[in-house]
Amino acid sequence: MNAEQTIEKVRGSRIWRSVFRSGTGNSTLHRALAIQQNIFLHLFATKVRKRMVRFSATWYLGTLTLGTFLILVITGILLMLYYHPSVPQAYADMKDLQFVVSSGLFLRNLHRWSAQLMVFLVFAHMFKVFYRGAYRTPREFNWVVGIVLLLITLLLSYTGYLLPWDQLAFWAITVGSNLSSAVPLVGNKIHFLLLGGNQVNANALLRFYVLHCVVLPIMAVLFIAVHFWRIRKDGGLYVQQSEPKAQAPSDSIEPAQEVK
Amino acid sequence: MQRIKTILSSAWTALFGDPVRAFGVVSLVLLIALAIAPAKEHFSEWHRYQRQYLKLIHNRGDALSLQRRFQPGIHQIWLPNLGVVDRCTTCHLGLNEAGLADVHQQPFSKHPAIPHSLDGFGCVICHGGQGAATTVSEAHSSERAGEEPILPARYIESGCGQCHQDQLPGTPQLNLGRSMLRRYGCVHCHAITLPDGTKVVATDHPPSLAHIADKTTREWIFSWLKDPQAYSASTTMPDFKLSDTDASDISAYLVSTSTPLPGDNATLDVKSAMSADPSAGPSLYGESFCSSCHAVQNAAGNLVGGDLGPELTRIGNKAKPEWLKAWLQNPRTYDATTPMPHYRFTPQQIAILAGYLQGKSDSDYGANVHLDPGTAVQIAHGRKLIVELGCAACHEINGVQKPENFAPELSSIGSKPLAQILFLPGMEHALSSYIVTKIRQPRAFGTSVKMPQFTLTTAQTDALTTALLALTSRSRSMPDSLRVAEIQETNYQPAGHAGKLMTELACLSCHRINERGGDMAPDLSWEGSAIQQQWLVGFLKNPNTLRPALIRRMPRFNLSDNDNKELTDYILAVYQSPSIDPDFTLPAMNAAETVEHGRQLFYSKYACQACHIVDAKTDKGYIGPTLTQVGSRLTAAWVYAWLRNPQALRPGTIEPNQNLSDDDARALTAFLMSLKGPGRRGTKQ
Repeated sequence: MNAEQTIEKVRGSRIWRSVFRSGTGNSTLHRALAIQQNIFLHLFATKVRKRMVRFSATWYLGTLTLGTFLILVITGILLMLYYHPSVPQAYADMKDLQFVVSSGLFLRNLHRWSAQLMVFLVFAHMFKVFYRGAYRTPREFNWVVGIVLLLITLLLSYTGYLLPWDQLAFWAITVGSNLSSAVPLVGNKIHFLLLGGNQVNANALLRFYVLHCVVLPIMAVLFIAVHFWRIRKDGGLYVQQSEPKAQAPSDSIEPAQEVK
Repeated sequence: MQRIKTILSSAWTALFGDPVRAFGVVSLVLLIALAIAPAKEHFSEWHRYQRQYLKLIHNRGDALSLQRRFQPGIHQIWLPNLGVVDRCTTCHLGLNEAGLADVHQQPFSKHPAIPHSLDGFGCVICHGGQGAATTVSEAHSSERAGEEPILPARYIESGCGQCHQDQLPGTPQLNLGRSMLRRYGCVHCHAITLPDGTKVVATDHPPSLAHIADKTTREWIFSWLKDPQAYSASTTMPDFKLSDTDASDISAYLVSTSTPLPGDNATLDVKSAMSADPSAGPSLYGESFCSSCHAVQNAAGNLVGGDLGPELTRIGNKAKPEWLKAWLQNPRTYDATTPMPHYRFTPQQIAILAGYLQGKSDSDYGANVHLDPGTAVQIAHGRKLIVELGCAACHEINGVQKPENFAPELSSIGSKPLAQILFLPGMEHALSSYIVTKIRQPRAFGTSVKMPQFTLTTAQTDALTTALLALTSRSRSMPDSLRVAEIQETNYQPAGHAGKLMTELACLSCHRINERGGDMAPDLSWEGSAIQQQWLVGFLKNPNTLRPALIRRMPRFNLSDNDNKELTDYILAVYQSPSIDPDFTLPAMNAAETVEHGRQLFYSKYACQACHIVDAKTDKGYIGPTLTQVGSRLTAAWVYAWLRNPQALRPGTIEPNQNLSDDDARALTAFLMSLKGPGRRGTKQ
């Protein structure tokens, strides 16, 4: 077909080749290279069993979690444009999102509900993995990475709670940070370190802001990268041993590109 | 059931049957969801109000100019130095439009005339509420978020009080509230520091209870504590809602610790004088102008008299006769700082007046109260109660220290966050309603609340609330340039023997001198420049009134000639105005002609007779002082300077500044100085 020939021609051109290192061709090798040679895709397995990407296999919980994380990053960056982490300004900035920023309330609600959803999805994802036995060898380490990601998610949620600087935020963080005082011996030190003082105030707001917008997201991105890379290295989404035997026959290996 | 199942399953297939269809449906739902957000903006409230406004002005005669001034979009007034962002003008579009004076439809009506520009001061500084909001409910009553709703209009004067620490003529409610904070003793328990760092000082004079047993009986103290208003409706003493036992124990403590003063129990044996003339008592009471300061309830139940001293309706129930006589002889023996003057009464006058006052009693008052002498346990319990209730915050009490910071400080009460307030069920979640309820029924907020019950009218509670609401943190943090300072009371004290005499006569209870003292009588700071010695001597001997419309008058103090001379000399020597030329003289030539010219100016050109009386037979002016003998009262220099610019000599006087020419002022002065009074009319100058 003419259209197909044109596409082939574009894909064979030097410009295309200079951007996408893998060349044209429908061979298994080419398809595998397309994944492997791309910095973003190389974290994923080059080959996936077709039925492994069916909805019933994972309920897409990990992917959805990543989706909410991406929404949170994008809306979070936009929210940072309107927000000052200072005591006199924080609450007023949040109200201004509602009062004068175009679609500001939508932006804020999107961030807030995605955050709620992400926590929910993370738990659902972990249950699914747990009950499917997908944490077993050789994926024990990835399970641990997942636990770290759970903690990061919860900390992101917790630090974000203070930023509106309303009464709910103030008292929730007061109560929450007091929990850390219960740690034996060093409890009060941790409490002081977390808040930058003995009370929730300007320093605490600034610390939580930096944690929420810089430290924790960077950590999350790093661990997500490790998490995905390990999925590939540990043998894809699903190992042979944990599969029910009855479903074996129609199994065929397809290049990842075909999944789409 | 089966049908519903079929319908549902076919709907599922139709929507999500194959991946492409499912993708399409989900995308469509997402698109609609995303479209709602900008659509909501378009249909927002302020858009609607701006469309309404355009419709409103469309058919008006001045539509063109109004439309030209109208700007679509969100408007805001930003005051960076006050931290204020007001977007109220987004909907309140007609505030600055003089042409819309006839429009009464909110939010488009014109703002009433105020001395400030709206753009320079914004809205929330006075009206409260949330200025940054762009919806009505968020701006006016965002209670759900725990934010202060808009201030009810009846407390609006509190807005003025944030910058204006002085008294404004346009804010009577705020002025009343501020004076009540001092007069009702609020500041004895609640410290209030003004933005300039000065403390609000109480102006009431709670009596010392150190010698209370000399003055009254334990039974009276009991009845008084149980219900102060039953004895005196006008008292500022609040009701502490004490039980019989508590009131009895407190009275036991007070009586047991009271120390006697020599003289209080001495009897003056001049009883015979009383029976001589039954009208002698009332006439002495009247002559001494007791009612300028003390009120008495008349038959109709109305209080008649001043409020500087305690009400005397039932004084006979309270005061022991011996104490009353000692008090009338010299109040300063019992209470060194009393505002009551030391009248130089003769023993006979004392007996007459004391007898008359003793007669002012109510035989029913406290008739059933009989208390046995207090036991040690009762006395100890009484002391405990006195400490707990903070009685010593107001009264001097033997054996009990004056408590420091007894009640919460109120310096920033007007900015108390709603989140820190425990509201009663059903109460509006607003600071103003909290304050007003707390003043009206303090004990409704729990049985452990110590604040007593005051008896106040609605106007008084509103005034107090207004004054308290003005104590905002903004008033403390605003730039000094915006603040109008209060005129501070000085601690001026006249010096020397004459000064001691003036203290005894309590001149400053009524007169103001060098920014200290009362406002009942004229300011005497420059009296020495104003009056003639001979007149003052006579006036102190036998004061007559200068202003016919006034009920309150200067009392007679029965000064000895020596004291009188000393006082007069002191006033003339010390209270001199620097702006009065002591060598001022009137032109001697053509004296009669000038006087006649002045008379014409007085009656025709300036129509002074509208307020002043020169000829008692014809003139009817009751506003200003009578001038029939002004020539023997005032100095020519003062009259001349006064005519040139009255406000320069006494700021705030209602005498208009007529901008007289020098010639007119001199002629008028010559005319006025020729008025020497009935007995001396026509005497040469």
